[in-house]
Amino acid sequence: MSVLQANCPSCAAPIEFKAGSTIVVVCPFCRSAIARTDRALEDLGKVAEIADSESPLKLGLKGTYKDTRFELTGRAQLKHQVGGYWDEWYATFSNGWVGWLAEAQGRFYMTFYQPLPEGVALPSFAGLQLGQTVPEIPSPTPLMVQEKGKGTSVAADGEIPYKLSPGEQFEYADLAGKNNAFATIDYSMDPPWVFVGSHVTLEEIGLGDAKPVQREAKRVSTAGMGCPNCGGPLDLIAPDKAERVTCPNCNSLLNVNQGNLSFFSALNPLPNQPDFVLPIGAEGVFAGDVKFKIIGAVVRSVTIEGVQYFWHEYLLYNPMAGFRWLVHSDNHWNFVEPVNPADVSQDAMSFGSTVDYGGVKYKLFQDAQAVVEYVQGEFYWRVEQGETVRAADYVAAPKMLSLEATADEMNWSLGTYLTNDEIEKKFNVTGLPRPWGVAPNQPFTGQFYYTWGALPLLLLFVVAIFMIPLSGLTRIALSQEVILPPMTNATTAQAAFSLPFDVKANSNVRITAGAPVDNSWADLDVDLVNDQSQEVESVNVPVEYYSGSDSDGAWTEGSRSTDATLSSLPAGKYTLRVEGTWQNWQVQMPVSVKVEQNVNRGVNFICALLLLIIVPVLGFIRKFSFESRRWKDSMFSVSGSGSSDSDD
Amino acid sequence: MLKKLYMIFGIGVLAFYATASWFGWEIANSGSRSRLGVPFFYSGFRGGK
Repeated sequence: MSVLQANCPSCAAPIEFKAGSTIVVVCPFCRSAIARTDRALEDLGKVAEIADSESPLKLGLKGTYKDTRFELTGRAQLKHQVGGYWDEWYATFSNGWVGWLAEAQGRFYMTFYQPLPEGVALPSFAGLQLGQTVPEIPSPTPLMVQEKGKGTSVAADGEIPYKLSPGEQFEYADLAGKNNAFATIDYSMDPPWVFVGSHVTLEEIGLGDAKPVQREAKRVSTAGMGCPNCGGPLDLIAPDKAERVTCPNCNSLLNVNQGNLSFFSALNPLPNQPDFVLPIGAEGVFAGDVKFKIIGAVVRSVTIEGVQYFWHEYLLYNPMAGFRWLVHSDNHWNFVEPVNPADVSQDAMSFGSTVDYGGVKYKLFQDAQAVVEYVQGEFYWRVEQGETVRAADYVAAPKMLSLEATADEMNWSLGTYLTNDEIEKKFNVTGLPRPWGVAPNQPFTGQFYYTWGALPLLLLFVVAIFMIPLSGLTRIALSQEVILPPMTNATTAQAAFSLPFDVKANSNVRITAGAPVDNSWADLDVDLVNDQSQEVESVNVPVEYYSGSDSDGAWTEGSRSTDATLSSLPAGKYTLRVEGTWQNWQVQMPVSVKVEQNVNRGVNFICALLLLIIVPVLGFIRKFSFESRRWKDSMFSVSGSGSSDSDD
Repeated sequence: MLKKLYMIFGIGVLAFYATASWFGWEIANSGSRSRLGVPFFYSGFRGGK
């Protein structure tokens, strides 16, 4: 088909089918959806106006995808069965391609119609299982079912390349694959149509300069649009995204339908009114200099072994980046972002206890039913008290990978641990309550002391090994027997001198003295006398040896030979002066003396080892204690952890 | 800061050990006039007397 100019069959205003692929044009004057057929134009009925949106996209924007220019020529707005809207922008390419740029929760997906090979049939909508791959769809990477749902066409604008019927419901399934691959199966057709593409950023498609519509929070304060329960005014920060909002005046939970409010339920108060430490409306700047505003807060809980554990979650919103979460548990904080489910792979050998994401293994920490206990603010889904999902957390500090699954949808998200100081800085607040315990993904900050901090210990061994050959082998400077004559009485010592001998500098000195004592003792004082300077270095060498037998058998105590070691002495000639007293003083005492140098004694090494090993050992003990405290709250306690650590 | 101090301490211990090994100093010795003046390690058996 080609470019066609005609008049609207409803209001006779001029309309134009600019793109050859355009099937439906929404008349800008009367908002009728006009389809072109082989015979004539067909009026499909009125479509609603596009809801006010903060989308950065608009009709007429031109971008580039895979080096091919395109223009956004149409827009369909669709409503999710459980609330919330998403936009699909019709991209007309210069080479004739027809693409869809889907926009949901701040994320963008460019997809193209993908014909299936002949004879290939897709599973039925009912037969599709969340998490299953659909190999029938031609794709370089396996595509996994991430979501099944029902949508309704509610509004449109511009040109649409298919026969859009206002209010028509259809079933669809979203699939995701590695490397940002994305696909949608549209079950409104028979056989179903498949659209394959990828998750893209606006920068990647040449629309990085597109800015969202700037506007202030929409004040819904008129009688018709205030709280339908109490009439109080409400401020909606993201009225185009909100599906539920709480009224702070009457504590009601309200439905939001494109800015129109209706009463849903009264909020059941908690026994202890939740104390959200960050207020709704607070703004924080996160990675990439992206400013997020808190638009909602939730109290959630899990019950494990009869004990209910509570935590708070803040819903963050930025018109360009979409939604994020800030999780506040035991005064620990996590910034949570969605991740592509296809990038998370289960380790078949681990029976579900680990998953891999981004080359990192995450260990299962908790798998329980998480319940919404209380809400405050506005939400992009139809939140309600008692809402329950299966929540499984896998940890690899400082990250935590979380799965939230319902019957129709599974979402993976990645939490990053943030310290209180970081949160205070991001939100420009002070005095946040200090955390207690160890968070599941809290990084251990003392790793340094047993990694890099153990470097001196390692170097000690290296130096010790190199020092052995450098200092030389043990050298005997003197080996002699000196005779001490009999003592004149039991207290007056006798002395004798050795032959002179050489002592070398920079070598320790070991003096060994032996005496033939038997069940007796000899107390020897050995003086090293420098022959030149007459300086004396003295050591006491007591020798004693006892032996005998008793009911336990033979025993001995002491030794007939004892040594003492000195630090190095100045080089030169030395003489030993041996002076002693001994038990059997009436007889002479032959004393064998030996002087050695360069003795590898090891005491210096042991002293240095003790000094250097204390901190690494304490670091290990701290790490072990930290991991024990981390895993004691886990449903799947493990010994040790492969968690990566931080030294920040 | 604590990490830097610990590394300075560790390297200091290592340097002291290497120096002592090179010059033949014995931290624990029995001499009456120890070079380091710290004959703090007991040397020799003194029991039974």
